[in-house]
Amino acid sequence: MKGFIKKIVTCCLISILATGIIGCSSDTADTTQNQGEKESPQTKEKDSSKDSKKDKKVSIDVAVNFGIDDQITIGLEEVAKGFEEETDIEANIISLPDYEPVMKAKMAANELPDMWSTHGWSVLRYSEYLTPLEDQEWAKVLHPAIEPVITDEAGHIYVLPIDVDVAGIAYNKDVVEQAGIDVDSITTWDDFQKACASIKENTDAAPISLGGKDNWTVGNFLDWVGPAVMLTTTQDYDQQLLDGNFNSEGWNEVNALFENMYDAGYFNADALTGTYSDVARMLGTGETAFGLYGNYIISEALSYNPDANLGFMPVPAYYSEDTPFLISGERTTLGIWKDTENKEACLEFLSYIARPEVMSKLATISGVPAGLTTAESDTGILKEDYAKHQEVPSVPYFDRVYLPSGMWDTMCATGSALIADEMTIEEATAKMKEDFDKLYN
Amino acid sequence: MSESRKTNIINEKNMINIMYLPALILFCIFVFYPFVSGIRISFTNWNGFSQNFEYIGWLNYKNLLHDEILQLALKNTLIYGIGSTILQQMLGLFYAVFLDKKFIGSKTTRTVVYLPVLIAAVIMGYMWYFIFQYNSGALNDVLRVLGLESVDWLAKGNQAVWIITLVNTIQYTGVSMVIYLAGLQNIPKMYYEAAQIDGAGPISQFFKITLPLLYPAIVTSVTLNLIGGLKLFDVIKALTNGGPGYSSHSISTLVDHTYFKTQAAGYSSAMGVILFLIIMGVALLTIKIFDKNEVDM
Amino acid sequence: MKTFLKNNWLKTIIAGVICLIHIVPFYISITVALKAKTDLSSRWILPKELYLENFIKAIERAEIFSAMKNSLIITITAVLIITILGAMAAYPLARNRSGLNKTMLNVILAVMMIPPLSILVPLLTFVTRIGGVSTFWGIILVVATYQLPLSIFLYTNFIRTIPMDLDNAASIDGCSSFSIYYKIILPLLKPVTATVIILVGVNIWNDYQFSLYLLQDPDMKVVTLAVANFFAQSSSNFGAASATALMAICPITVMYLFLQQYFVKGMVDSAIK
Repeated sequence: MKGFIKKIVTCCLISILATGIIGCSSDTADTTQNQGEKESPQTKEKDSSKDSKKDKKVSIDVAVNFGIDDQITIGLEEVAKGFEEETDIEANIISLPDYEPVMKAKMAANELPDMWSTHGWSVLRYSEYLTPLEDQEWAKVLHPAIEPVITDEAGHIYVLPIDVDVAGIAYNKDVVEQAGIDVDSITTWDDFQKACASIKENTDAAPISLGGKDNWTVGNFLDWVGPAVMLTTTQDYDQQLLDGNFNSEGWNEVNALFENMYDAGYFNADALTGTYSDVARMLGTGETAFGLYGNYIISEALSYNPDANLGFMPVPAYYSEDTPFLISGERTTLGIWKDTENKEACLEFLSYIARPEVMSKLATISGVPAGLTTAESDTGILKEDYAKHQEVPSVPYFDRVYLPSGMWDTMCATGSALIADEMTIEEATAKMKEDFDKLYN
Repeated sequence: MSESRKTNIINEKNMINIMYLPALILFCIFVFYPFVSGIRISFTNWNGFSQNFEYIGWLNYKNLLHDEILQLALKNTLIYGIGSTILQQMLGLFYAVFLDKKFIGSKTTRTVVYLPVLIAAVIMGYMWYFIFQYNSGALNDVLRVLGLESVDWLAKGNQAVWIITLVNTIQYTGVSMVIYLAGLQNIPKMYYEAAQIDGAGPISQFFKITLPLLYPAIVTSVTLNLIGGLKLFDVIKALTNGGPGYSSHSISTLVDHTYFKTQAAGYSSAMGVILFLIIMGVALLTIKIFDKNEVDM
Repeated sequence: MKTFLKNNWLKTIIAGVICLIHIVPFYISITVALKAKTDLSSRWILPKELYLENFIKAIERAEIFSAMKNSLIITITAVLIITILGAMAAYPLARNRSGLNKTMLNVILAVMMIPPLSILVPLLTFVTRIGGVSTFWGIILVVATYQLPLSIFLYTNFIRTIPMDLDNAASIDGCSSFSIYYKIILPLLKPVTATVIILVGVNIWNDYQFSLYLLQDPDMKVVTLAVANFFAQSSSNFGAASATALMAICPITVMYLFLQQYFVKGMVDSAIK
C-alpha cells in the first residue's frame, strides 16, 4: 500500500522535475502553448477520422430533456436502433441533465446538437436556431390540438410533435369517490373549492398537491388558473396581454384565488418544500386527490403505485358564463438545428418517427395522444377520460402564448413567495408586471 | 558582495518570474478573457441565448440598486459566507483539539469527519434533503417516533437559510479540522509543559498558547472557508432551489436564476460582477485584518 | 489511572456521536439506494430483501464505470498539470517578493473568488470556438486552470517555510535560481504535493458545472453527470441517483485513504506557516 502512495507522489514529483528542467530554459511560456497546439492537431485528426467515418456512417446527436431511465428515453433509443438497422444512420439519444440552461448556453455559443427536444418552446425560444419543417409530408396531418401551438406567426413549423400534451386536472378516482364527489359536476372554481373542502373533511388526503422545491409545480397552478381568469368572454384581458398590457387587476384575482385556497388548507403540508416526485407519489398512493399537471404525471404516479386508479378532468372556469377547458401543448417534440451538416439524415429520422407504427409506440409510452392524426395511441387507463372529454375546448399553455418568454419563472417564484407569505397578493402581482414590462418587446 | 553581483542576483530574481508564466497564460485564456466578456455582457440587454442584443450602458447596474430581491440575496450570501465560516472554525477547532490526542476511535473519527468533503456538494445537498424533507424525511420520522408533530423544516425562508448554512458547515468542517490538526502538531509540546509548571489550567492553556499559535492556521482556514461560503451554490440548489419564493437565494443562485430562467443575461452578469466585488471586498478585508498581525496572503 | 480510563471512554463515546452526525446522510442514501421506487417505508429502515435494481441501473443506464474511467483520466491529467505548473509558479512567488509578485499573488487569490457562473457562457463560447467541447484536453485545461490558484497558494506557503539559507548557500556555490529550484526545492515538495493532490483531486473529481457545459458527448460523461442523469424535470429517480453517487464516491475515498497520512503532514507546512 505504501509503495502505491510512493509511486503516485514520486510520479508527480518526477513530472515536476521534468518540467523543472525545461523551465530552466527561457521558453517556458511556449511549453503550454505548444501543449495547446500539440493537442489541437490531435483533435483535428479525431475530427478528420470522424469525417472519414462519415462516408460510411452518418451519426446524428439527438438531445432530449428526459431522464436517462425514463421510459420515453428508452423508447426513443429503441426507435433509433430500428432506424439504424434500416438506414445505417446512427442516432444517439442523449439525455442531458439541466437541460434548459445547457441548451441556452449552447444556443449562445451557436453550437447545438443536430436535433433536440423543445419541451414547449419550439416557437418562442428555439425557432431562431431551428429548421422550418412545414413542407414535410407529415406536417399535413398534424393533430388539430397541437397545430396552432407549434406554428409561428409566419406559418412556420419547427418540430415534429410525437405526442400532444393534454392537460386537465389529474385526480385519484378512489379518493374523490371516498369524498362523494362527482367530478363531472365541477364546472367552476367555486365548485372545485367546494370539492376540496369536502375532500379535506371526509378523507385523510390533501385536496391538491404541489412540490414547491421544484417551483415549476407552483407555476403550474397559476398556469391553470391563469387562463380561467384571463381568457374569459367577459373581459378582454387576453388581447391586453398580447398588446403588452399586463392587467394587474386580473392577475390579483388569480393570486387571490391561489392564496385563499392555500389559506383554506387545501394544499399538502409540504407544498413549499416537496418535489414533483412527491406529488406524483401522493397522487399514486391516494395521499392527494388533485394534481394540476399534464397527463404525464399519470405514468409517473403509476411508477410509485402501479394499481392506482387515476383519471383527469377539464380545468373549471372562473366565471360562470365560461366553460371548462383543457390545456394543450408540446410534450415530446423534436426539431433540427438549422446549421447541422446532417440535415438529410435528421429529416429522414423524423420521417421514420412520423410513421404511424413508430409514433404510436412512442405516444403510447407517454400515455397521451399521438401528434399526428395518422397515428393511434393507447392511452391506457385514461382512454375512457379522453373519449369523455373529446369535445372540451382546449387552450394553449397560458404563459407560452400570453406572457413573454422568461416570465414563466417569475410566475413560479412569485407564486411560491405568495403562499410562503414572503409577498402579498399585490406585491406578487407587481413583480409579475415589472418583469412582464421588462421582457415584453 | 560586490555591486555587480548584487544586480546580477536581482536580474536573475526577476528572470525566475518566467516560471509563473505558464500559469498566467492559462489564467489569461480561461479566466480573464471570459471574465472580461462577462463584464461586457453586463452592459447589454442580452437574453442569454439569442444572437441579437443591444448595449444599454449602465442601466443594468442602475436597476441593481433598487432590486429588493438582490438585497435579500446579499443578506443571505453574507449569512452563508460569514455564518458558516464562524461555525466551521468553532467546530473544526473543537474537533482538532479533541481528536489531536490519541484514544480509541480518534483516527476513525478524523476520517469520518473528512469523508463528506470528498463528495460533490450537490450530492451531499440531496443526501441532506432526504433528511429534512417533510414527507418521508428522516428527521421527521424520528419526531414521529417520539410522538411529536412533523415539521416542514425548509418552509420558512429564515430557517432554510440557517439549515443550508449548517449543512454546508457539516460538510466542510473536515477541511478546517485538518488545517487545525496540522497547526496543533506544529506547537512545541514544551510550551504546554512550561505552562503546566506555571500552574495554568487546560482552559487558560488553550487561550494563552493554543489559540495564538494557531493564528496562521486560522488565517488559511478562514480565507478558504469564506471564499467557499460566499460562492455557495450547490447546497442551496439541492435543498431549497432558492425558495420558498426568493427567500433562500444566495447571489450565486440568483445569478443562475436570472441568467437561465428569467432570461436576463445582461442583468445577471451585472449581478455576477457585484458578487465578485463583494467576495473580493470581504476576503481582502479579512486578509487586511489578519495582515496587521504579520501574516502573508 | 482510573480517571484516565474513564476519560478515555467518555472521549470514545463523544467521538462516536460525532461520527454518527457525519455518517447519517451516507446511511440514508444507502437505504434509499437499496429500495425500489414503490417501497415507501421509512428511510431509516433497511429493506427486507436485497434490491439491487438501482445499482444495475447505475451501471447499465448511467454507465457509471465508463464515467469513472473518464473522470479518472481527467482528474489524473489535470492534477498532474496542476502540481507541475503550481509548483513552478510558486517558486518565484515565494522567493522573489517584489511588488509585482505581490500583485500576482493577489491576482491568483482573485481568480479563486470569481463565481464560475459569471464566466460560464463566455467560456463555453470560447472553448467551442477553439474546438475544445467534448474533448479531454478542453475540459482538462479548464478545470486545471480553475484549480491552479489553490495549488499555487499551498506551494507558495510551503516554499516560504524552506529556509532561505539553503538557497543562499547554493547561490554562493554558483547555482542559478533555476538549478536551486530544481536541486534543492523540488525534492522537498513531497508532503505538500500529497495535500495538493487530495484537495485539488477531490474538487476535479466532483466538478459538475464545467463538465455539464463542456462535455456534450455521452461517451465523455463524468461521474457527476452520471448522477445528474437521473434527475429530470418530470421524473426523478432518487434511488438510482443515490446508487450512482455511492459508487462514484468509492475511487476518491480510496485515494484519500491512501494519501491520508501524508495529507496532514503536508498541511502542517503548507497551510499554516
